[in-house]
Amino acid sequence: MEFEDLKAKVLEVADSAIKYAKDSGVPSAEAFVFNQKINNVSDNNGKIDSRLGMVQGLGIRVAVGKQVGFASCTGFELKSIKQVINQAHRVAKVSPANPMFNGFVADTKTAKEGLLDPEILNLNPEELTNYLDTINQEINRDDQRIISTSIGVRISWGGYAVGTTEGCLSSSLTTAFVAFCSSVVAEAGDRKTGDDFVFGRKIKDLDGIGANAVKKAIDGLGAKKFEGSEILPSIWETRPVSSFLDVALGFLFSGSSYVEKSNPWGEKLNQQVAIEDFNAIDDGQNPEYVRTASIDAEGTPKGKTVTIKKGILKSFLFDRMYGNAADKATTGNANRGLGGPAFESVPVIVPNSIIIKNIGKNVDEQIAEIDKGILIRSEPIGLFTANLATGDFSVTCNHGFLIERGEIVYPLKSFGLAGNYFKTFNDIQQIGSDREMTGGTFQSPSMTFKNHTISG
Amino acid sequence: MENEYIYDLLHNAVKEGENKGADFIEARFDDLQLTTIDMTNDILKRSSSIHRKGIGVMAYYQGTPGYSFTPELNTEAVKEATFNAVGLAKSTDSRNKMKLGFERTKGIKDKVKPLIKKHPKDFEFNDKLELIKRGIAAIKENADISSTTGLYGELYGEKFFVNSDDSEIYWVTVMVDMRMIAVIMREGQQATSVEGFGASKGLEFFEEKETTPEKVGSNSGKYCKEQLDAVASPTGKTKTLVSPQMGGVVVHESFGHLSEADFVITGQSPIADRLGGELGSEHVTIIDEGISPYGGLYLPYDDQGVKTGRTVLVEKGILRGYLHDRGTAQKMNAETTGNARAINYMFNPICRMKNTYFEKGDLTHEEAVEQVKNGVYAVDMSGGQVELDGNFMFNCSRGYLIENGEITKPIKNTALSGNILDLLKHIQGATKEITLKTGYFGGCGKGSQHPLPVGFGGPEVIMDQVLIGGAK
Repeated sequence: MEFEDLKAKVLEVADSAIKYAKDSGVPSAEAFVFNQKINNVSDNNGKIDSRLGMVQGLGIRVAVGKQVGFASCTGFELKSIKQVINQAHRVAKVSPANPMFNGFVADTKTAKEGLLDPEILNLNPEELTNYLDTINQEINRDDQRIISTSIGVRISWGGYAVGTTEGCLSSSLTTAFVAFCSSVVAEAGDRKTGDDFVFGRKIKDLDGIGANAVKKAIDGLGAKKFEGSEILPSIWETRPVSSFLDVALGFLFSGSSYVEKSNPWGEKLNQQVAIEDFNAIDDGQNPEYVRTASIDAEGTPKGKTVTIKKGILKSFLFDRMYGNAADKATTGNANRGLGGPAFESVPVIVPNSIIIKNIGKNVDEQIAEIDKGILIRSEPIGLFTANLATGDFSVTCNHGFLIERGEIVYPLKSFGLAGNYFKTFNDIQQIGSDREMTGGTFQSPSMTFKNHTISG
Repeated sequence: MENEYIYDLLHNAVKEGENKGADFIEARFDDLQLTTIDMTNDILKRSSSIHRKGIGVMAYYQGTPGYSFTPELNTEAVKEATFNAVGLAKSTDSRNKMKLGFERTKGIKDKVKPLIKKHPKDFEFNDKLELIKRGIAAIKENADISSTTGLYGELYGEKFFVNSDDSEIYWVTVMVDMRMIAVIMREGQQATSVEGFGASKGLEFFEEKETTPEKVGSNSGKYCKEQLDAVASPTGKTKTLVSPQMGGVVVHESFGHLSEADFVITGQSPIADRLGGELGSEHVTIIDEGISPYGGLYLPYDDQGVKTGRTVLVEKGILRGYLHDRGTAQKMNAETTGNARAINYMFNPICRMKNTYFEKGDLTHEEAVEQVKNGVYAVDMSGGQVELDGNFMFNCSRGYLIENGEITKPIKNTALSGNILDLLKHIQGATKEITLKTGYFGGCGKGSQHPLPVGFGGPEVIMDQVLIGGAK
């Protein structure tokens, strides 16, 4: 199947669903049609698993005034589509009105599409196993410290369409490539893990993934206990700091928590919330980013939204409903499929790709400036336990290193790291220069934070 | 959809797959209906009615698996999925260094249905909305609330399974769940309480004394309010009495995954070579079972058509077993345990838990509190995170101080962390009552297959040396 065929298919299903809805007397409807081919191959210490198939289905929202019902089905059989339209209509008719609801998209405006890699369409399972070999060849199997490795390659390609009784009929396509390696190493009773990955819309160069995953694990061997409790600067590499920021800012940028008055930054619009060097943009239009699309999950063109400029909170992120409730325009951040196939959920607000602007120095240069501090190389556990009302967080770091006099001196055994998000945003000592693609919605350069409590 | 038609499709998949060169084929059909209702601040924020059906085919070629699936229920689509599965198995076989073949056994013919008094499919949307409204009213009667959310979830449907053993299994799954969430914001403070859980039952579940909407709602309001007066928890290594809910999650997340045989045979689990070895104190016995007398999840068969039973993972501190699929069981010369589970037809089965819990002890609740003397009573949690080396961290969202052998003040949200292999050595006893729960909301997330319903719970368990990090 070619891209044009794929596009035609999802548009045709959306169009036929909307036509049926109109013919059935449904007052207002939106069809979200999803079609994605996936092919995964993994090698868990020699055990090969593979999966290939088409994730395919449709979600229908029906509105009767401000009463809204949603139903979904797998596959594109006309009988199933008719059933879910009728089911959504039945639910809408008996549902209480939702005063925030403001109808479906009524036009076919679209933004730019992201990059598509036609080679991904033609990859077969044998070629995927060759990628496994590429990663595997970097791993020194004679190293007795390596207990196990887990390697995987995942590709997907597909698209979605949104059709509405109001006149929208738009689609967006994507291709994706992910490769990863994780390792477990042990020596003298000490056990450590390490991982590395690449992902993007195109097939990626896999050099370094296998070697990095093992090196990260081995670097952690021989860890020593951090004695006592001390307030120290901490340097976070790009991937862990992106996760760290995601936990807080994903919520603080949310237009739904703003409308529902549970957002601690609800009264902070146009106020200073971070240091002046801190700039964050939600970018749904960079062609390289995985989440870039011509429309969001309810048919609104994706765009760019400045959320923090020079440390000042400039905007929240909205879909149509919450934008309406806040008397703002949608920012094109409707997303679907949290925890399941996209067509099985109604739109929720999710950042596209939050980009934190590069500023200063790379990690090595930041380390050189620290007299005593901590280096965080992978995501601590427990980030999600942060109390976002107060900003307090307390996490466990299993991959940290002690820095003394500008150098890494040794790896540390698991230690606690605590602080407060709101204080942390204003206590950033350095914003790095080394932003890279991550697996999540946040892409940040490394950062040095001034004051976190470290406890052994 | 006629059952005969489905069986024909599945049997054809087995035949076509074997003709194509597979040694063994498993074909299954899921037809599931999921309903979610979310009422936030008296607005019906979201509702969804999901119909999820499709066929998955697993092919084995010389011990190498390949999996494919299709939502299209016709002969050609199922044939294509079967050929894809066989093609994957064959094309990856030469690279597979850990082949997990298994012997054929006598096929099983069975049809199983749980006893459901009030099947959710026989009730209207508004009946379920009314349950939520009753719960929310109860929240408001018990506290001056800033925000309320009522969630209702139901999952029911049919599962069909056939394989090269000539098995033909049909079983029915049902689950309902309701959660009541209260939030109070006052003078810069925020308190949140989430109450409720689910069961493999019909709507009669909400007529049971402890799970009526009124009871769940009033608990949520009451527990939220008491959070406003909560004190900071002690910090450092602390003796802790964990509730069935908390203990169940700890044993699932931090120990159960280590016992999954796919992690064991690949060396990823730190308990891979420790069968027969001492892992914990004499008070530690850990069970995983498919249908439990204590409630929880109803799971008669796994997704390889293996009848689920009762697996003793740890017996009085000694590691006795792992959780297997057919391939890992044969490789490790163990009995099958019925733990091959997939979240839906789009995924291949992997080693997953069923109902996992600490076995009961001989203490009463009062005796357990007295034994802790001074410490923490950890009752409920909101999320947890673990690593494959046994390190864990859970957020205790409801807990109390234990002072001089009595439960006294509520404590603020706090983190419980440690390493399960250290912790098991410091289990000091358990109560004699067991309760198991399950849920539509949340579940196990292994291998991107989230959320798979599992059963969790147990007795109250005394754990010493739990690292507690209090709110600042």
